[in-house]
Order: sequence, then C-alpha cells, then structure tokens
Amino acid sequence: MFFYYLDLAWRSIKKTPFLSLLMVLAISIGIGITITTLNVYKMASINPAGERSSQLFAVRLLSQDNDTWDEITPQITYQDAFNLRTSAVPVRQSAMFRTGLAVQTEDINFAPILESVRVIDSDFFGLFDVPFIYGGPWEKQVDDEGGYKVVINEDINQKAFGGGNSIGKTLLLNRKPYQVVGVTAQWNPSPKYYDVNNGAFNNSEQIFVPFSLTPIEEFDSWGNNNSWRREDIRTYQDRLNSEMHWLQYWVELDTPAKQQEYQQWLAAYVEQQKLIGRFKRPDAHGDISDVGQWLKEHNVVPEDNKVLVGLSVLFLVVCLVNMLGLLLAKFLKRAPEVGVRRAIGASRLQIFAQHLVEVGLIGFCGGVLGLLWAWGALYVLSTKFDLEQSLAQLDQSMWLIAPMIAVSAAIIAGLYPAWRICSTNPSVYLKSQ
Amino acid sequence: MLQIKPILSMLMRSKSGPLLLLVQIILSVAIVANASFIITERVGLMSRDSGIAESEVFDLTIYNFDGAIDPNKQNLIDVEIIRNLDGVKAATSSSMTPLSGGGWASNFTYGSSEEDRKETPNAALYYGDEQMISTLGLKLVEGRNFHPDEVSSGGPELANSAIVSADFAKDTFADESAVGQIMYRGNIGEQSIKIIGVVERLQGAWVDHDNLNRSVILNVELGSSFTRFLVRADESAIADLKEAIPAALHKEHPNRVVRGFTTIKEHRNRSYRDHELMATVLSMMVVLLLLITSLGLAGMVMFNVERRTKQIGTRRALGAKKRDIVSFFLVENYLICLTGGCLGALIALQLGQQLMTLYSLPKLELIYPIVTVAGLLVLTTIAVILPAQKAARISPATATRSV
Amino acid sequence: MLSMKNISKVFKTDLVETHALRDFNLEVNEGEFVAVTGPSGSGKTTFLNIAGLLEGFTQGDYFLDGVNISNLSDNKSAAIRNEKIGFIFQGFNLISDLNLAENVEVPLRYRGFSAKERKVRVERALDQVGLAARMKHLPTQLSGGQQQRVAIARALAGEPRFLLADEPTGNLDSLMARQVMELLEDINKAGTTIIMVTHDAELARRAQRNIQIVDGQVCDFTMYQSGQTDNKTQSIADAVSVA
Repeated sequence: MFFYYLDLAWRSIKKTPFLSLLMVLAISIGIGITITTLNVYKMASINPAGERSSQLFAVRLLSQDNDTWDEITPQITYQDAFNLRTSAVPVRQSAMFRTGLAVQTEDINFAPILESVRVIDSDFFGLFDVPFIYGGPWEKQVDDEGGYKVVINEDINQKAFGGGNSIGKTLLLNRKPYQVVGVTAQWNPSPKYYDVNNGAFNNSEQIFVPFSLTPIEEFDSWGNNNSWRREDIRTYQDRLNSEMHWLQYWVELDTPAKQQEYQQWLAAYVEQQKLIGRFKRPDAHGDISDVGQWLKEHNVVPEDNKVLVGLSVLFLVVCLVNMLGLLLAKFLKRAPEVGVRRAIGASRLQIFAQHLVEVGLIGFCGGVLGLLWAWGALYVLSTKFDLEQSLAQLDQSMWLIAPMIAVSAAIIAGLYPAWRICSTNPSVYLKSQ
Repeated sequence: MLQIKPILSMLMRSKSGPLLLLVQIILSVAIVANASFIITERVGLMSRDSGIAESEVFDLTIYNFDGAIDPNKQNLIDVEIIRNLDGVKAATSSSMTPLSGGGWASNFTYGSSEEDRKETPNAALYYGDEQMISTLGLKLVEGRNFHPDEVSSGGPELANSAIVSADFAKDTFADESAVGQIMYRGNIGEQSIKIIGVVERLQGAWVDHDNLNRSVILNVELGSSFTRFLVRADESAIADLKEAIPAALHKEHPNRVVRGFTTIKEHRNRSYRDHELMATVLSMMVVLLLLITSLGLAGMVMFNVERRTKQIGTRRALGAKKRDIVSFFLVENYLICLTGGCLGALIALQLGQQLMTLYSLPKLELIYPIVTVAGLLVLTTIAVILPAQKAARISPATATRSV
Repeated sequence: MLSMKNISKVFKTDLVETHALRDFNLEVNEGEFVAVTGPSGSGKTTFLNIAGLLEGFTQGDYFLDGVNISNLSDNKSAAIRNEKIGFIFQGFNLISDLNLAENVEVPLRYRGFSAKERKVRVERALDQVGLAARMKHLPTQLSGGQQQRVAIARALAGEPRFLLADEPTGNLDSLMARQVMELLEDINKAGTTIIMVTHDAELARRAQRNIQIVDGQVCDFTMYQSGQTDNKTQSIADAVSVA
C-alpha cells in the first residue's frame, strides 16, 4: 500500500507544481537555516576527548587574596605547577603552556620560521592520545633533569626534513639544538580543550618541548598572563616566583577512587600552602573538572550561536505553519476525490495514511533540498568569513538528521490537514459536483 | 464601507485558515523584530570609528632569537631601516596592534595623595615613539606630540609622559582639561606620567570590551626580543613592502623571523568577524522569512479566490465593483496582519526580554516590532493585490452557472 | 439482503431539527432491481447514504446481508463498502488524475489484491462495459456515457453483492441513458441486486419494483396505484400519515 500512496503522492505533487514547490521551498529553507546553525553549534559543542572525557581533569586553584578576583581561574602559577608535579596520585599529568620559537635546521639555506610550540611534560602525549608515526615521547627522566628533546608533527617534519623517519635528527629552536625523538600524525582536537586561551578553535601546536627546560630557556608565554596583585617582574626568575597565573595543568584519574584520592591530596596541599601563609583567603581550595564540565564552564559555544539556533528553530516553525496552511488548502480542495475513495471502500485510516505519505514525501524533498542549502550556506559563510575548518564542514550526521527533522516536522504539520480530510463526511461530496 | 463586520464574521466561521495565517504572522513579527534589532546593534558596533587610517597601516613582528642581539639597540636600528624604505610614510615600534584582539591594558591612579587616590578607567596601553601619531593617522586636538628626545628605549617603567584619547580624558577628568594632569603607575607618586596631549579618537585592541575607545600612548620604545612595529604606507605600496621590509631586515641581521604584514583593516574584519557573521545570518533569515510569509499569504489568497469564485461572481452580479472585490481581500488580510502584528509585537518583546536575561543582548526597543508590523502591512498589500486582482476579473456570469 | 426497520435520521442545527428519514422501513431481496423515486428533499439521498454506509442514522436497525450495520467501526464499514457495495453516481465521480484502468483498480487496491489479480479483474470489468480498448485514457477524454460505463466497471470490479446507483443517467442524453440502463439490467440479470435512485418516472418503470419516498417515509408503489391518479404527492403523504 505504501508504494501506492507514494505513487498517488507523486501524482498529486505533479498536479499542483506551484503549490508543491512552495511547500518544498518553505520547508527546505527552514531546514537549511536550522541545519546551518545546528551544524555550527554541534561542531562547537563536540567533546573531543570522547570516552576519556570523564578521566581527564583540569586542575585549578583558588589561591588569590580576598578582594582581588572573585572566581577561580582556569590557570595556575609556576610555583603551584612545580609542586603539583610531585603528586604520585595521577596516572598521568602535565603542566603546560604555549610559546613560540624560531625553527631552523642544520641546513643553512633553511629560512628560519616562527612556530607556536607547546611546553609540556612527557605524559602529555598519553593524556591526550596524540598519535605517533615515528618514535615516541622523551624519557621520563627528561621531565626531571631537563634535556633538549623535541617532538614534531608531520607538517614540521615535512618542512624541516622533507618527511620520513627523522628520529635522531637535530632541530634548532632559538638556535639551540634539540634532538627529535618523535614524529606525530596530524592531531588537532576541536575545540582545543586543553588550552582555550587563544580561542577554542585555533590550531594545535606542531612542536612539543620539555617543560623542564622552562627555567633554563626562559620560554615566553603566548597565552594569558593574569596577576591579581602588582608585582615587579623584571627577570624570568621573578616570573617563576610570582603569583602570576599562566599555566594549564591536566591530570588523568581513571577511577572514582583515584579522583577522590587526588582531591584529598589537593586539599592537603592547599592546607599546607595556607600554613606557610601563601594562600590567605579562608575559602582557598583546589578544584578538578573533567573535559565536559571544563568546556561548559569556558563557554566554548558562543552565545550568538545559541541565539541563532533558537531563532532558526522558530523560523522552522514558521515554515511549518506556512506549510500547514497550504496543505490544508490543498487537501480540502481534494475532498471530492477523497469522498469517492471513501465510498469505494477506503477506511479513514487509509485516507489518513495516504495523505501523510504525501506530506512525508514533500518533507523529504524539502529535507534534501534544505541540506543542499545548508551545505551552500556553510560554504559561502566559511569562505566569506574565513571560518575555522572544523566549524564550517557539514557534519556527516546531518545527512541523516536533516531529512529526519524535515520528514517528521512535515508530518507534524500534516497531521491536522490529513485528519481534517479523512474525517469529513464523504457523502457531502458525492452528489453531483 | 470597508465591510469589516461581514469580513470579520466570515473569518470567525472559517477558523483554521486565518488562524494559521495569524500564527505565522505572530511568529514572523517576533523573529523579524528581534533579528533586525540584533542586526542594527551589530552594524552599529561595526561602524564605530577607530580614529586610525586603517587601510594604510599594517603591523609586523620581528623575533630576534639570537641571544647576542641587544633588543633595545636593535629596535632603534630596525625602526630606522623601516623608515628609510621607499613608500614608508611613518613607522614606530608598538606594544600592540589596534583592533587585533591582543595587547596591553591597565589603569592608572591619580590624586594629590594616597588618601585622595582615584583610579582611571581601564585603558589600552600603546608604548611607542614620536611617530605613533603620524603612523596611525591620529588627530591631535589638544596639547602636543612627544619630542624625539623625550622617548626612551627600554622597559615600561621608563614611561613619563602620555598622549591620551579624548574618551579616556573625558571618562577620567570629565570637563577638566587632561593636558598637564599627572597619573601614576602603581601607588600615588610611584611612577608619574604627565599627560601632554589629547587625540580625538584612538581605539584599543578589544572590540567587545568597554575600554575600546580609551587609549593611552606612552613614550617608550619597548626593548624585547619580540618586537612589534606599526608602519604606514600608501595602500598601493604595501604589497611591495611585504617583500622589501624582511629583505632589508635580514640583510642587517639574518638570525630573526619577520612576520605579520596585516593591515588594521584586516585586523578589524577579523575582530568583527563574529558580529558580521551574526548580522549576515540574521539578515538572511529575515529576508527568507519575509519571502516565505508573503508567498504563503499569496498562496492562501489564491486558494480563497478559487474557493469563493461563485461567491465573488454573485457579489459582482449584485453590483460590486472590481475595486470592492480587491478591497475585500485586502481588508480581510489587513485584519489578520494587524491582529497578528499586535500579538506578535507582544511576543517579540517577551522574546527580547528572554534573550536579554539568558544572553548578553541589549533590551529590544519598541520601535522594532512597530516597524516590522508596518513593513508586514506593505508586504501583505503586495502579496494580496495580485491574486485579488485575478479575483476581481471573475465574470458576474459565474453566479448564474450551476456548476 | 437489505433490511431497514424504523430507521430515523435527524439533522440538528442550533435552530431547527430536520427529520430526513422517519420510521423508514424497507426490505430488498437478493437479485431485485428496485427504483427509488421521490421529489427533491424527500430523503432519497439520505436513504442512499445510509444504505451505502456513508452516513450513520439516529435510530432503528439496518441489516445488510445479515450483518447488523448499526455502530460499526469506520474500518468495518469501509470494508463492507469495499466488498459488498458498488456505487454509481450521477456525476460519475471518476478520479480525473487516474486513467480508466487505475480508476477501476482503486477499490481493488483497498481490498489488498495482488497486482496480478487486479490486472485480471480490471480487464474483465472494463471488457464488460465495452471499454477495455481505452484503459489508458483519462476520464476527460471520454463522453459522459463512456465515463458512466467506466464508473460502472469500477463498481463491478470488486464483484459486489449489490449496486447503489444515484441518478445514474441524470447527466446523460437519452441515447446514452438507454445504453447505461441496459447495462444495469444486464448486471441485474447476472445476479447483482440493484437499488437505483432516480426522479425519472420513465426509467423507474423499467425496474422490478418502485418505491417512492415522501417526507422521509416509504410510500410503496402499489399504494400509489391504489390511491388517486397522478402525481398527487400531497394527498399520498396525508394518506400515509393517516395510516
């Protein structure tokens, strides 16, 4: 019966091409707008840590004095990072920040390039599942004693060494020789949750160097540096000893027991800092938040985007109401034919089904067309506004979601007209026309 | 004469059709009013004047990664190299690039003593030399520029005089003249800075911050391995300078990276990107929504004309003029449009209220729903008049035919 | 076959109650050809709609082929219409978007026949009315008489036990009307019960039995004969109501 209804629906659509086109257009535009905004929303609100989301925690400390900042901040001081590294509780942990270094090779014809670099502990790669092509992280020992080791990604490997296995080769960073110990594949989580300082959707760093080199090499910080009190910072050592918040700190705690244990450890650390008089406010405390919480707290999805999704859903409703009116008109015009069908033996349910199939078909066409609109709109918007690639591509799930929303929305809009037409008394329309 | 009463009773009898139209209009008004309000707000933000010759000014950064280089001396050499290139009108080292989204900001203290201590509002801090004003193309409205011998080279603690934007002067000293005022970095008396000039307008780096129009220029060429320069040149010369500047700088010393060459205009586009995106998407939405609403309206009228063919024929036979038929349809739809418009305006205000509380959007002004309803009336006229004219052409003879 | 006992149908609006049928009694036997006549507004159409299960009724009992029709669900009555009843209308009521074969096929679709079965039956039914050669034509390409024959074919395709015809010749010229009437007579001879509503006395006379409806009640032809002479409906109605 379904194919019979489909055949009837297609005939009906062909019979009133203008009206049908109007309906398909209305719903497709509604779907197009909704999918466009929904897509950006979805891409922005993705949790890139996936199943590890609940095992990775950002560590924060409310360490500032009273009457300075009200809230706990996303970053910590060097002193605290240095102390946190002594905890044995986390499975993996890393202090980190973003810097920039001039990259050269031993080839003197290689023009120096300035690249953003992430300063990390070796656990970073395991924490965030960074995929290696060659080699791996530097030895744990380097994290304690320091050492000129570097991990690069395949892009830099290509630029500096022309690709291939470059383990053991030398890369000059700010004129210092670093030994390449690992080459990673492209790795670019979006949002860039481990550091949302420079925008959550910019690209990941392509070069990684040991955090233990920080006091020696005096790497600049390329992120936010926030001080709650005025300190005279002239040398790099001043900075390391200061109360400036400028580092990110992540730990992996794989079981609830570990999480509890770490929270206790953190509480003890805060108590100890209070005792020596560094943390002055009474409500000073440590805090861990997993990736999901972290993204929510940092408002990775822009508010504008939420407003747009809301407005576009309203827009879709308008399109549906519009369609509802047109469907009602169209169906009621067909009442005589329905009268005949009813007389000949079609039940109400069959008439209802016939009309819902027609509505569904219109919805499906609208959905497919709407998807094309959305694809076009995203393309135009991303070229015009130079959107981040990760936000502008049409998510694969949309190929399923769009027709589904379209068909179900159309069917919701079609319920009333279909009900009206199937419940009218057929005899009224059977007497001579 | 407009037969509002019979039309009204007819509308009441055929409930669903007009009701749907009503709902559609209510929602359209609510969406369009809020969307166009947000659009105007964003366009307003984007059209604020920065006070800078945006398309003639670009920035570049020099990273001297060779430890042997003395950054203070090197900066003085570099700025001279840049200034001497063909096509360069002016250049200065700078702590930040306007409208770029990143830079320095702080506040100062002022007052006669620590008891009398007051704080200035937060302002963007530009550290640069006497060419800052000519590089950015600023207009000095009071006082004077730095003399070349007043500019020091080194850290920010060397600053002792300032040129401020008129907005900073007004927000800090109200009607008092800012020129000659003394401010301090830190506590009163710690590092005194004398205001020597006021520029008409200069924006900082953060377009969404309320300190945008408050800026302070301080008389220091900051020495660090990582130095930013602002350069002004004719628009046509910028492309060539992108090649010439790194070449000249590398010739002087090869161990450095020269990057950037982004005009302030490009920085502006980037900084306002999200606002422009929002305004664009919303405009798209408004246009399409109005299109769909008017097409839907036209469709409904067409359907009604068809349904009422006989009735219209009868009216014509009874002496209705063509004009009467057209006005019949117009009045019918005006009634729906006005009712929907009023209800829609109420919902629009409610929606605006929600948006204001949930998100950091300003409060919807009443004029937006009103203008939307007026616009919708015009649109109704256009959408109705064509099918209605078709209706008016129905022959009075239709009434006498039985089929 | 068909039995109506004390059927009443009342239409209520805010102001008036209209009795379309009152205490309506009728028995039709298998294989009969009954003509129903009566002036406009007498209740002919209401009778036909109730007989055809298109409308419910207010009071009384209606048995069709032994099945009690009162309070049937929509699904059941649709199934009965589909299997037992064939409709023929004054205005033909062919579906204009469908060609002849597809029109005839409609009831078979709703009965759930296989494609093969449908094809056989459609061909047979169209053959019966002499239009098998034109099954790909659209209704608008045919004359009125041909259209009505298609409608008859559609009614026959499901092999119903009885046909309900509402002014089947009302829109046809006399020649075509005769052809259609002959076709109906043939169908009746083949065993199908037919009830035909008409206001054409000439046509009615060709049926086996004539029933007249006046003011929503049956006025048997025999009574009509024994009464006065011609078309004195008013006096008949009086007579009925006195009786």
